[in-house]
Amino acid sequence: MADFNVSSREQGQICIIDVKGYLDAHTAPDLENEFNKLIDNQQYKVVVNFDELNYISSAGLGVFMAYVETMREHKGDIKFSSLKDDVYNIFDLLGFPVLYEFYDNDEEAIFKFNQ
Amino acid sequence: MITLDLENSSHKKKLEYLILSLIILLIYKFFYPTIDQSLFSIINDILIYSTIAIGFYNISEITHKKLSNPISLVLNVGLLNAVLFFLTALSSVIFDEIENINEVNSLFYTVVSILVFLIYVSFTTYILAAIRELNFLRQKKPSERNFNLLLVVFALSAISATLAYIYQGLQFIEKTFFVVSTVLIVINSFRVSWIAFLTKRQKIFLLFLSSIMSGLFGFNFALTSESNIIQQVLFNFSTGVDVYFNLVMLFGNVYFGIIFFTTLFHLPTAGAFDQKSEEVSSLIDLSNLMTQVLDFKELGDHITLATNKVCNSDSAWLVTEESNSSELVSVSNIGYLEADGITKTILEEIETPLDKVLTLNKKSIKVKIKNDIRTYIFQSLVIVPLKVHQKNNGYLFAAKRQKYVFDEDEKKALGAFADYAAVALENAKLIKESIYKERLESELNAARDIQSKILPEETPRCDELEVASLFVPAFEVGGDYYDFFKLDSKKLGFVIADVSGKGISASYIMAEVKGIFESLSKVIENPKELLIKANDILTNSLDKKNFVTALYGVIDLNSGKLIFARAGHVPMLVCSEGIVESLRPRGIGLGLDSTAIFNTNIENMEIQLNNNDILILYTDGVTESQNLNAEEFGEERFENLITKHCDNEVDDISREIFKEVSLFSKDKRQHDDITLVLFKWKNYNKIIGEV
Repeated sequence: MADFNVSSREQGQICIIDVKGYLDAHTAPDLENEFNKLIDNQQYKVVVNFDELNYISSAGLGVFMAYVETMREHKGDIKFSSLKDDVYNIFDLLGFPVLYEFYDNDEEAIFKFNQ
Repeated sequence: MITLDLENSSHKKKLEYLILSLIILLIYKFFYPTIDQSLFSIINDILIYSTIAIGFYNISEITHKKLSNPISLVLNVGLLNAVLFFLTALSSVIFDEIENINEVNSLFYTVVSILVFLIYVSFTTYILAAIRELNFLRQKKPSERNFNLLLVVFALSAISATLAYIYQGLQFIEKTFFVVSTVLIVINSFRVSWIAFLTKRQKIFLLFLSSIMSGLFGFNFALTSESNIIQQVLFNFSTGVDVYFNLVMLFGNVYFGIIFFTTLFHLPTAGAFDQKSEEVSSLIDLSNLMTQVLDFKELGDHITLATNKVCNSDSAWLVTEESNSSELVSVSNIGYLEADGITKTILEEIETPLDKVLTLNKKSIKVKIKNDIRTYIFQSLVIVPLKVHQKNNGYLFAAKRQKYVFDEDEKKALGAFADYAAVALENAKLIKESIYKERLESELNAARDIQSKILPEETPRCDELEVASLFVPAFEVGGDYYDFFKLDSKKLGFVIADVSGKGISASYIMAEVKGIFESLSKVIENPKELLIKANDILTNSLDKKNFVTALYGVIDLNSGKLIFARAGHVPMLVCSEGIVESLRPRGIGLGLDSTAIFNTNIENMEIQLNNNDILILYTDGVTESQNLNAEEFGEERFENLITKHCDNEVDDISREIFKEVSLFSKDKRQHDDITLVLFKWKNYNKIIGEV
C-alpha cells in the first residue's frame, strides 16, 4: 500500500500538521497519535496541511471529527489548508466546509487564528 | 474392573491357603511341640516349609506395592531387622538356655515357641521378599533365574539340615548346600543398579542406613549361630527354620554390605547424576507443555524457569525476534528492565543472526536504566539461537553471575533444550495465528451475513419504472446499504447510504440505519425532514468518528415527479436523452454535526422525469475503484459509460457498468463495496394518452 506520513511543526502558538500520502483506516492511527500528543501538550490550535495528501478515506475523515470537539472546547480549532481539488471534493461532498474552515494556504489559516 | 476382581479373588485365595496351612501347623504343633530324630520331624518340616512358601507369596504382594519407593522398602527391612536383633539380644541376656529341651512338654512352652516362630519367620520372610523386589528393581536383563535358584537352594539347605539331624551321617550334604547358598547369596547380592537412580540425598541416607543394617544382619547371624535361647527354640521348632533364618541373615548382611560400598562409590558422581536426570525431566516437562500450554507468554515463563534447571544458570531470559525487532518475552531470576537492557547491548555488539551457541565469559555490561548507568558482571553468559526450519525466531539467554563458567555438558544440554523450546514456541505462535485468523474469518462472515439480510431481496416492480440494483461486497464488508419503500400505491421511496468504516462494526451501523429509514419512511414523506430526523437519531448513537452518507428520495409514480435530499452522499446522476447531469443539493453527512447546522444546510430538490430518463444512484465504491497505477475510475468514465448504454434496459446498464469497473481494476483487490441502483422512467401510458 501507498505510504502515509505525518509530521508537525510549530508556528507561534499554532501547530501545523503536515499529512502526506494516503490516509485510510490503516494509517489513521498515526494521525490520531499526533493529535493525542497535541492534546497532551495542551495545543489546541491546529492547522492541517493537505498539500501532499493524495487520498483520504472515511476513516481518515473520522479522525478530525473525533478531535475537533476537544479543540473547540479549549478555544482552539482544526483548520484545513492547501487541499488538492479531488481531496477537497471529498470534504465538500460530505458538507465539511459548513463545519470546518478551509484555506488555500497555512498563512491564511494562521491569520484567522490570530484574529 | 474384571482384572481388579480377579486380583482380589486370587489375593483372597492366597490368604486363605496361608491361614489354612497355619492352622494345620498349629494343630500339629500342639501334639508335637518339639522335634525328635524321627520321621515326624519330616512331616513337621514339610508343613513349615509349605507355610513359609505360601507366606512368602502373600508378603511379596505387599512388598511389590512399595516398589516405587525403594528407600522406604529398605527402611522397613531395617526396622524388622532391628526388632529381631533386639529380641534375640534381650532374650539371650535374660533367659538361660533350657536344658533337656526335648523333654519339655508344657503348653506354655508350645505357645511361646509358636509365637517366636511366627515373629521370626514372618519377619525373615518379609526381609527376603523385600530383597527380592530390590533385586529385580531397574534390571534390564531377566534376573529371576538366579534368585529362584537361590530360593531352591535355601529350601534344600533347610531340608538337608533336617535330614542331617535325623541321620547324622548326612551332615556333609547340609554343609555342601550351605556353601552353595553362600555362593549364590554373593552372586545375587550384586544386583544393586537401582542405587544409581536415587537422588544424592537419598544416596547419603542409604549409605547411613545400609551400614547399620549390614551390621545388624551380621549380629543376628552371629547370635543365632551360637547357641542361645532363641536359637534353641527355633532349632527345636524345626531344624530347617533355624537354617532358613541364618541364611536370610547372611544374605542381608552381604546384600546390604554391597549396597553400602556401591552407594559409597556412587556418591562422588551423585551430583552429576542428579543434574542429568534434572535435564531429562526438564525436557520431558517441556515436551508435555508443548501440547498443553498454548499461551505464548506462559510457555515462555516455563522455558526460562526450566533453563535455569537444565544448565545450572542463575538467571535466564527469552527474547523473540520478528522482522528485525526483538522483544523480551519472559525472564527468570532477573529484572525485566535489566534483561531488556542487557539484551539490547549484547545484540548490538555481536554479529546477528547467530547460528550457533555463543558464550561470553567474564563479561561486564553497562546498561542505562532510568537515567542510571549500571554495570552487570557475568562470569559466563550463553546465548542460544532459537531456530525452526533454518529461521531464527529469537534467543535464549542463560547467565551465571557468581559461580563458575558453563561447562561443555551444560552448554550441550542448553543447546538441546533450546531446540525443543524453539519448536514449542513456534507451535504456540502458529496456533495463536490460526485462532486469530479464524476469528477474523468468522467476524467477516458474520458481517457479510448481516449485510445480505439487510439488503432487499428483490427490486420493486412497477409499470412506470424499471428498477435495477447491483451490489458487490468487498472482501471486508464496506457498509453499503440501499432499500425501497412502497409508501402507498403510487409513491415509491428509496434510499442509498454508505456507512463509514468497515467490517462487523459497519454492518451493525447499517442495521441501525435500515431500522431508522424503514420506520421514518412510514411517517415522514418529505426527504429533507426525514434526513433531519435521521441525523438526530444517528448523532446520538454513533461514535464521534463515524458517519453515514445517505440520499433519500420519493418518486410519484403517477406524475413522474421526483423529490430527494442528500446528506453528504455522492450526487445522483440523471441521464436524459444521453446527457448525464449530476444533481447535488446541499446537505452534510449524517452524524457529522448535532447542532442546527445540519438542519439549515440541507435542501430538497425536485425534478420532473421524462420518458426514458434514467436515475443513477451509487456509492463511492464505484468511482473510487482503482487500477494498479492508483488511478481512480472517476466520475467522467462513469458518466460516459452511462451515456453509451443509456438506450439499454437498466439491468443491462448496471451490468455493463460493473463489467467496466471490474475490468478497470482487475489487478487490484476490490477495496470497498460497489452498489448501483438504477431507475428508468417509462410512462408510455401517459404519452399514448396525450397523443
